[in-house]
Amino acid sequence: MDNGTADDRPPGLATAQLFTPGADAIYRLVLMTLVACLVALPVLGAGIVRSNYVTGVGVAPSQPLPFSHKHHSGELGIDCRYCHTGVEKEASAGIPPTHTCMTCHSQIWTGSDMLKPVRDSYAQDKPLVWNRLNKLPGYVYFNHSVHVTKGVGCSSCHGDVTSMQMTYRANAFEMQFCLDCHRAPEKNLRTPAEVWNMEWKPPADQASLGPKLAERYHVRGGERLTECGICHR
Amino acid sequence: MSMAGSPDAVPAIRPGETLGSIGGRVEAIPLAHPSGRRWWIAFAGALALLGLFAFTLGYLLYEGVGIWNNNNAVVWALDIASYDWWIGVACGSLLVSGVLLLLGAEWRGAVNRIAETVALLATAAAGLYPIIHLGRPWFFFWNLPYPNTYNLWPQFRSPLLWDAIDIVSFLVLAVSLWYIGLLPDIAALRDRAHADATRQIEAVAPTRRIALFKAQAYGILASGWRGSAAHWQIWGQAYRIVALLGVLLVVSVQTGASVMLAGSVMPGWHGTLMPVSFLIHAVLSGVGVTAALVVMVRVVYGLDALVTDRHLDALARLILCLGCASAYCYAAETFDTFLAGDAAGRGVLVRRMTGEHAPAFWTAVVGLVLPPQLLWSARARRSPLVIAAVGVLVAIGAYADHVMILVVTLTQDFLPSSRLPYGEDIWGIATFAGSLGLFLCLVLLFVRYFPALSITQTRQLVAGDARGAAPGAPEVGALRHDAPLWGVAAAFLNEAELTAALQSLASLRGRIRLDGYGPVPMPRTIRALGLEGRSILPYALGGAVVGGAAFYGMCIYATAYDYVFLIGGRPRFSWPSFVVPSVSFAMLCGCLAVHGALLVLNRLPRLNHPAFHIPGFERATQDRYFLAAEVDDGAEAARIERRLAGLPAGGGRPLSVTRVPR
Repeated sequence: MDNGTADDRPPGLATAQLFTPGADAIYRLVLMTLVACLVALPVLGAGIVRSNYVTGVGVAPSQPLPFSHKHHSGELGIDCRYCHTGVEKEASAGIPPTHTCMTCHSQIWTGSDMLKPVRDSYAQDKPLVWNRLNKLPGYVYFNHSVHVTKGVGCSSCHGDVTSMQMTYRANAFEMQFCLDCHRAPEKNLRTPAEVWNMEWKPPADQASLGPKLAERYHVRGGERLTECGICHR
Repeated sequence: MSMAGSPDAVPAIRPGETLGSIGGRVEAIPLAHPSGRRWWIAFAGALALLGLFAFTLGYLLYEGVGIWNNNNAVVWALDIASYDWWIGVACGSLLVSGVLLLLGAEWRGAVNRIAETVALLATAAAGLYPIIHLGRPWFFFWNLPYPNTYNLWPQFRSPLLWDAIDIVSFLVLAVSLWYIGLLPDIAALRDRAHADATRQIEAVAPTRRIALFKAQAYGILASGWRGSAAHWQIWGQAYRIVALLGVLLVVSVQTGASVMLAGSVMPGWHGTLMPVSFLIHAVLSGVGVTAALVVMVRVVYGLDALVTDRHLDALARLILCLGCASAYCYAAETFDTFLAGDAAGRGVLVRRMTGEHAPAFWTAVVGLVLPPQLLWSARARRSPLVIAAVGVLVAIGAYADHVMILVVTLTQDFLPSSRLPYGEDIWGIATFAGSLGLFLCLVLLFVRYFPALSITQTRQLVAGDARGAAPGAPEVGALRHDAPLWGVAAAFLNEAELTAALQSLASLRGRIRLDGYGPVPMPRTIRALGLEGRSILPYALGGAVVGGAAFYGMCIYATAYDYVFLIGGRPRFSWPSFVVPSVSFAMLCGCLAVHGALLVLNRLPRLNHPAFHIPGFERATQDRYFLAAEVDDGAEAARIERRLAGLPAGGGRPLSVTRVPR
């Protein structure tokens, strides 16, 4: 017979009900919130690191003076290489020295207030300090010349710069951006004449043209271009 | 696990214990906390070690992993040895607990709670090592497949990834096994804490708020467990299925750990017996730590009535068997290497025995192989002190075994230039001592706030003892007229009476919801309710198959299509290497499916439930059985009341019959 003894069993309660009916709703809400957080926080994190807030895509930083690629390159038709002289021969495309600006601006708009920083820079022999847009980490090796001489156009990475009043970052230069192209370069290869075309879209026959261009440029896709040492030297 | 010979004659519980007295003894530890002073002294010591851990980790983050003196060929130093040891202890205790549960060893109640706790807490200690031994621990998630901006996948062919998936799965399994086993016991604690709080509130005691908070905290943890027959049915299945998944995962984790070594070209890591010896040493160290803790809890809290000589004897025999297996592994490896091994293998073996790190080998022999042999003596098997000492020694021996396997092989690299000296250094030891502090802190907190023995499983030993019927005619309680009716409830002394009463109401089945409540699993009540066909096995199986297949599919997609990457000449479709993490992930998903089924089929969590209005229902988690018939119609309720009140003694006579408000 199991009656227990006086000291090992609880005394009678008015009710064993410890929680109000509302507690259920709160408890389930908390549990569901925790589960939702478990799912939502990684999604939120993944979203934030891809957002323009973090990548800076589409954000034009302030510059020493409001230089417009749209005006100079788009409307006046100055070639990219007029200023970025290293792009076909060197790793870095190069930022033009003040002298390049002054080739024209010693003749036109010589009294413009807007151009005073350029004239000051020239007079004092101090370079203009532009805010850099596209930065790669130190452990990434990148060479402009090999890209542009093998059919990768400016706009593939930098976007349509000729339409930018103030210059902004067109693409987040994250590893996936580079790899997308390195895994299938033929999708983005152009004929030499098209490299400088800022409004280039893949032509209708890109599927057949791309592999031919890859062969002509000796671009080895996939296996070779995705080796770690191609970019991380 | 049937023990031959004498131990069966020894009862697994002291005669005369009842459902109530078992609950009283075990619940008194977290609620009243006897031996408070000794607990505080132990906790202070453990906290000091934990402080050392924090300090060491701080220095590690500041300075880097080089503080472990592993800027030489011994790149896997005490950090990996400690990790292997911790996960070995966790695997061993989980395996023992799971196997005892699956085999239905009746005496397991006194052992498996502690074994499950050791499994969980050792996993917590182990889980930190893979993270802190990274050069940049804050990027630990790079090891997991997640949508990253690098367009990369982790390398699914690598044992390092297997390890990451293994440890996550193992942690979930260990938490699940521990919590599912604990669930009804927490409900018992909740009800006793509630009674205590009510008493304090009536007496306007100054600690009444804390008492009520304690009851509510246990209440939330218990998720509204009511001990319904249907709850028990699903719970029993869930517990066993998670145990089975855990046992399978243990085999995968331990053999995986040895394959990780075998994947290298280092001599001494390629014995075909190595996965087996890893598993055996893991189980041996797990049982050792568990046995030492069981003895400690028994001595400190005077639980001789529940942890009997039978338990000590069973643990001792287990250690003896595993000790013999361990001795066999050592002998076979030595014999095989000297007889048939290559020169490099023989060299490693000789260096193990006579080299610079020979103390590790001899500690392993003296700890793992020799102490268990003491337990051939029947007297030693009944001595708590001997068993605890052997338990601790085998744990130390297992640690030395891991150090020996890793360090001796690594000290002699193939390049003369990398023969830099390695010595066990102060920071490696401090890190391990600190992780020990973490483990001990958590163990002490567990003993302080949770039932150290399984109340439910210990009660199952005496559940059949409660016989007889209510002494007299039942009390029939009335309901306040204004309260809406939920149903009619009756209280019983034992399951037999409850089942008889349910059978007398069998004609109502289908029209009216009937349920039975009690402090132990109630298979007969399940039959009387007509619920015996229910099974959650399909959910678990479905979850495991879908999860495993999805993971396997992801491995194939990533490795063969999305991220084709030539590494070490491995084929694009390296199917065997995808099996290990897929199996681990399958266990994880099966376990999550079991949780889902446990909650949904039992309609939990439900903190507030009309059943708690049944007078005296707090004893449904102690020593009473209840029947509830849900009727909202007064006339029908009256008919049921009359029928229950009129049942004869032995044929379902209740102690009391009452109407219960909603």
